[in-house]
Amino acid sequence: MKADGPATDALRKEAADLLSRGDVGVVIGYGRQDDADLAAPVFARNAEDADRLVFDDHCLGNLAVYLPRSEIRAMGRAGVVVKGCDLMAVNVLLRENVIKREDVVLIGTHCAGVGEPQLEKCSTCDVHSPEGCDVVVGEPVDQPKVDEEQRYKAAAEIDAMSVEERWDFWRSQFDKCIRCYACRQVCPLCYCKRCIVEKNIPQWVATSAHLRGSIAWNVVRAFHLTGRCVGCGECERVCPVGIPLGAINQKMSRHVGDSYGFHSGLSADQEAPFTVWSPDDSDEGIL
Amino acid sequence: MSEQNLFEAPAGWLKSAVDALLSDGVEVVAPVGAEDGTVDLAPVSSSGAITLEYLNVNQPLKRLFFPQTEVLIEFERQDDGDIDVKSQSAPPEEEMVVFGCRPCDTAALDVLDKVFAWDYDDLRYRERRERATIVAFACTGPDPQCFCVPVGGSPHGSQGSDVLVFTRDDGSALLEVNTPKGEKLMERLGAVARPAQPDSGLPDVPDIHTGFDPEKIKLWLDDNFENEFWAGASLMCVGCGSCTYLCPTCHCFDIVDEGIWNRGERRRNWDSCSFGQFTAHASGHNPRPDQAARYRQRVMHKFKYFPERFGLVACVGCGRCLRACGVGQNLVSVLHDIEKT
Repeated sequence: MKADGPATDALRKEAADLLSRGDVGVVIGYGRQDDADLAAPVFARNAEDADRLVFDDHCLGNLAVYLPRSEIRAMGRAGVVVKGCDLMAVNVLLRENVIKREDVVLIGTHCAGVGEPQLEKCSTCDVHSPEGCDVVVGEPVDQPKVDEEQRYKAAAEIDAMSVEERWDFWRSQFDKCIRCYACRQVCPLCYCKRCIVEKNIPQWVATSAHLRGSIAWNVVRAFHLTGRCVGCGECERVCPVGIPLGAINQKMSRHVGDSYGFHSGLSADQEAPFTVWSPDDSDEGIL
Repeated sequence: MSEQNLFEAPAGWLKSAVDALLSDGVEVVAPVGAEDGTVDLAPVSSSGAITLEYLNVNQPLKRLFFPQTEVLIEFERQDDGDIDVKSQSAPPEEEMVVFGCRPCDTAALDVLDKVFAWDYDDLRYRERRERATIVAFACTGPDPQCFCVPVGGSPHGSQGSDVLVFTRDDGSALLEVNTPKGEKLMERLGAVARPAQPDSGLPDVPDIHTGFDPEKIKLWLDDNFENEFWAGASLMCVGCGSCTYLCPTCHCFDIVDEGIWNRGERRRNWDSCSFGQFTAHASGHNPRPDQAARYRQRVMHKFKYFPERFGLVACVGCGRCLRACGVGQNLVSVLHDIEKT
């Protein structure tokens, strides 16, 4: 997909219209800087800015991360460019009442996959065409049938190890963690005003980058995203030391899928496990 | 320093040097490749583990001297109620030789040396520095994110290295000795390298295509602490610490106590000005309330405050912050924007 292709043309036009009509105060999209591999975010405030927007296969990031931010909210209603995978995160933000549907304009993009080489997540993507957006740009993409096993491949490979091997594997991975919290900061669903690792009276999770602290951090991160993570893969993509966080998220997603038949992010009005209660709930497992 | 500072080493010299040092009981730290393709400096037990295939090591050289986490003291409550406090023992006395870091990372040691010997002589840092001899490898193929030249460095810069190695395609090398420590190392290595002929020319310095003028940038920074520019320049920044933690000159730290009911330890950990909690006061007030204020601090510290205090910019142009940023925040474009205003 080329930056100067039809998706980009349509995107610029939609964004310029939204901005010049005053429907939105900002359009959050992607732009290109020289020949960078990664299309960085552009925050278009007027129709002229909209000409900096592009959509191509360098648009890796999940721009939903910006929607809860106070700097963005202060700009008014926000238009945001979303691929199918990004939209799933927006659905969770809506479901969790972090943002209101009327405060965002969703500009979907048909997407055949991004990255050179293509990101692993794109090979099991079943949302090449986002549904429920206000407008969708680009050429529709054929939706290949996705092999369920393939979706959980990274987790399955680790599950195939013995307990000792798995412990060694994760210990060596978490030992690399430098506690930069890039995984947290880039995650659209890590929107807490004060993260558990920042709660220091008392300090619940050791901030030191020793194995104990880094295991605690990474396990807490996984727990807090269980049943919420949509598998956008941003945490793993940005990890500067290459920890395979996606495999952890896959494992938790699979558990939630198997136990509750729930897959996060498919719509904004899903009832998520652990967030609803009914007198008719099965009491299995309740002591 | 003697006059002879250039040595000629045949292909295979590195293996010979590392093996000789290891058999002498010297700790050798060198570039080692991981399964995921990244290369980092790590202690090696044989020369076979070393790789030479990298632009730069993923994590900066600083962590050998200023580790990400270190114990300062240990404390334990005694039966009689007294608290026994033990200062953590000094780093090992054995020598350490570091191979394979790049000139940008060794130039960064100049920044760290100034800070850690400034208003307080940081014993731990100094002891680690003193026991280390640094054998840097000159850059042969900088990438478009490299910008050592505008911040006063060079792909062939010798600042901070005891020996600087220029490797030829056939594996042979010219070794430039820059310090008495480097001389001592060459003496120790003996036959591994021999004095080079006086006409042994150094290879051409590879080009760095990025340019900006730190002095011009500082002039703007002097007058623009309050400027809307910062809000725009930081809008995409999500506030993680990867740029600061991969930065070879960033040196901020936090001190924490960790323990159980009767004993614990006080640790020094890296900290980052990108984090909101970095400046959060116990009262709840935060003098850097948003990412704009935090990003401004990062630029100001490197290009204004540090030059004012120590006479050099606290950036060596290694480009790690550009490569590591998950959202594409680009310090060089921000500096270019500042230059243009």
